[in-house]
Amino acid sequence: MGVLEEADRSGDARPLPLAGVRVCDFTWIVAGPQATRILADLGADVVKVENESYLDSMRLGLQNPDRPPGYNGSGFHGNFSRNKRGITANLHHPSGREAAERLIAQSDIVIENFSAGAFDRLGFGWERLQELNPDAIYISLSGFGQTGRDNSYITWGPTAAAVSGATQMSGLPDEDPAGWGYSYLDHTAGYYGAIAALMALVHRRRTGEAQYVDMAQIETGMVLTGVPVLDYQVNGREYTRIGNRSEYPAIAPHNIYRCAGDAFEDDRWIAIVAESEGQWAALCEVLEAPELASDERFASNEARKQHEDELDAAITALTRPRDPRALMYTLQARGVAAGLCQRTDDKMEHDEQLAARGFYPTAPHDELGEHRYEGFPAQFSDARWRMVRGAPLLGGDNMEVLSELGYSPEEIGQMMAELAV
Amino acid sequence: MAATQTTGNAGPLEGLRVIEVGDLAEWAGKLLADAGADVVRVEPRDGARSRHAGPYVGDRPDTNHSLRFAAANTSKRSVTLDLGTDEGASLWADLVCRAELVLDGAGPDGLENIGLGASRFRGERAELLWCSITPFGLNGPWRDWAANDLVQLALGGPMMSTGYDDHSLPPIRADGEHSIAMSNEYAVTAILAALWLRDESDEASGQLIDVSIHESVGATTEGSFPNWEYLGQRVLRQTGRHAAAQRNARWQYKCTDGDYILLMGGGVPRDGKIFAGLLEWMDEHDAAGDLHDPKYAQVLYTDPTMNVEVRNHVATTIGEFVQQLTAEEAYRRGQSLHLPWGLVRRPEQNLADPHWADREFFWEGELSGHPEPVRYPGAPYKFLKSPVRLRRRPPLLGEHNHEVYVGELGRSADELPQLAASGVI
Repeated sequence: MGVLEEADRSGDARPLPLAGVRVCDFTWIVAGPQATRILADLGADVVKVENESYLDSMRLGLQNPDRPPGYNGSGFHGNFSRNKRGITANLHHPSGREAAERLIAQSDIVIENFSAGAFDRLGFGWERLQELNPDAIYISLSGFGQTGRDNSYITWGPTAAAVSGATQMSGLPDEDPAGWGYSYLDHTAGYYGAIAALMALVHRRRTGEAQYVDMAQIETGMVLTGVPVLDYQVNGREYTRIGNRSEYPAIAPHNIYRCAGDAFEDDRWIAIVAESEGQWAALCEVLEAPELASDERFASNEARKQHEDELDAAITALTRPRDPRALMYTLQARGVAAGLCQRTDDKMEHDEQLAARGFYPTAPHDELGEHRYEGFPAQFSDARWRMVRGAPLLGGDNMEVLSELGYSPEEIGQMMAELAV
Repeated sequence: MAATQTTGNAGPLEGLRVIEVGDLAEWAGKLLADAGADVVRVEPRDGARSRHAGPYVGDRPDTNHSLRFAAANTSKRSVTLDLGTDEGASLWADLVCRAELVLDGAGPDGLENIGLGASRFRGERAELLWCSITPFGLNGPWRDWAANDLVQLALGGPMMSTGYDDHSLPPIRADGEHSIAMSNEYAVTAILAALWLRDESDEASGQLIDVSIHESVGATTEGSFPNWEYLGQRVLRQTGRHAAAQRNARWQYKCTDGDYILLMGGGVPRDGKIFAGLLEWMDEHDAAGDLHDPKYAQVLYTDPTMNVEVRNHVATTIGEFVQQLTAEEAYRRGQSLHLPWGLVRRPEQNLADPHWADREFFWEGELSGHPEPVRYPGAPYKFLKSPVRLRRRPPLLGEHNHEVYVGELGRSADELPQLAASGVI
């Protein structure tokens, strides 16, 4: 029984869907680790391969200032590399390199998200991977893809959001683009990276054939821009921002309304959408505003859409003194779509739905201790996902993994002494 | 390495038989269909919701000309069916019978209430995969709450991280039905994992997969999670950059041509060599300010505490510099210096970028109602041996009624007009 199986306290006998699938994981930062996080949550044996010269730099991110900084102190890194095992392999040392090659030889999937060409330059291009293991699937996830004239360009999540169009598609019409307040395209690229790996596995089982998948982070954002890309081609319309309103279909009210602040800040907002006349009537009742219900300007969805600025101002005047969570519950009880703009503390401490679904399971970590983690957002009737351990310590699973790869304790000691691992 | 050569036309999911119903699973259906699965979308007689959303070809509303539908329904087939009729229920049962996977986007009770849901068919066929995608999941106190994309992005957390420095402006929901995208992407990972398990195991192990859109959106807000869980800090939304516990320098600037440039991390280079290249460029515009002072590079690249004031000063100076350039120039020259800077494009501007043409990213195909071929955004992955590609243009409403009901379910051709007249299809 390996270290992750030992750490599993669930007592759940249902299978992990990807048990037995091995992933050789050279990913770093967020996009690649997000892909392998999904595979690891679903039970794949993900072995994260690092070295001080290509350390996952997120290990240094968002450390607790009250503790000495170190490679194992990042909760940010922990959330993306949980449920994985970790080894160090110095690819510039012959026996470190050999350890990585043995791991590749036993893996179903090899995945990396270096800049285009970098993995090839490390000596692990597709041809070499095929020599090492003709059954290994190779997922490459770079910024602009391995081919194309700008393949040397580099991205982080926000770069990819900017170029793909995602940044422009967020914000108020008369303000700057708001973009995304986190690296949305790192996550999206990660989701598609996991999908690609699984599609390639399914294909391999059907045909016996392994393959190489070339992914460009920006393209994972561009696939989500179909509506404006088509609109431009057939209607000649350039994209313009719509704030929080709905133009297609035209619905009003459909916006974010300011509410009373809480103990932390005067910055609380609620989303309200009333699509049917019944919902509109219920909204007016809850807001105790018969004058809105009888106002000619707001007598139909079409009329409300026409007078949307006045409508939104009138609603804001009524929501401003109210507690947004209480208002949300009252509106939902009347069938009106409404939701507090939740902060993470709202989600983790006050969201009854996430609590009821067990969305924030806890797990141990050798340095950070017991903490909650974001769950996997689906439940299976006859299988499960897992949250068993935080991120591996840097090289923390060297002994276990290298033993599985056939190295004796003496050989492992020698490799450590030579800084090969 | 050329990733675009392929040895055949079969996609990675060739042969997987799927039926899709409801409005919350259409992105998952598209991902599977483009990858070679046979996805039949079962629509109400007046069409799926996205057919009624627009924008439309020529701005003339028509159930077959909605661009929102087109963008999310490539490679599928369409049949119409009124599930509330006896004959409709019987056809539905036949459709489920020939499917390996049901993509159920009809809400937590949409099918169960009429006896056509997972509980019935999973009882009949243990190997069946049934993926339900609902706003909050199939259980829990919010199970039956009303929601749409705006409400989901509010409750899930992305909005409170997204917006402007000025907090009198509201949190912002990015346009593009992202709550559907996120949940459907997760759904596909869960489906493929379940498919893998089914074929690995000796038993006929089907699954009910219960995907929550709320959880899918909620799993995605990155830094706000460890800030709260480990440090007890809340993050503040900021214009065009990451939400953070403390305010930091801007990342996004308007350039001389009116377009914006995104300077990742405020534009501060990751090492001294790149910083030197940037200073050379700034000198051409006499815009380096005092950044040649060695103390800046010293603090940035040798002091692990990364003094916040110095970083902000360097970032602000770089920000002033890029405002003297066109955004295109800042983007191209910046990238040539290995700076991860991005031109803030409108999505349609990518149609003209030759890099995507080199990669054959866009797919040319027909679009109902438009005389010329159009280019659809392609796939987020290029498979060397099993291409993910446009298999057929988005279907007309009920376009495949005959093909499916007669050709595949064995109903007689004479029966179809009758089924149509009686409101079944």
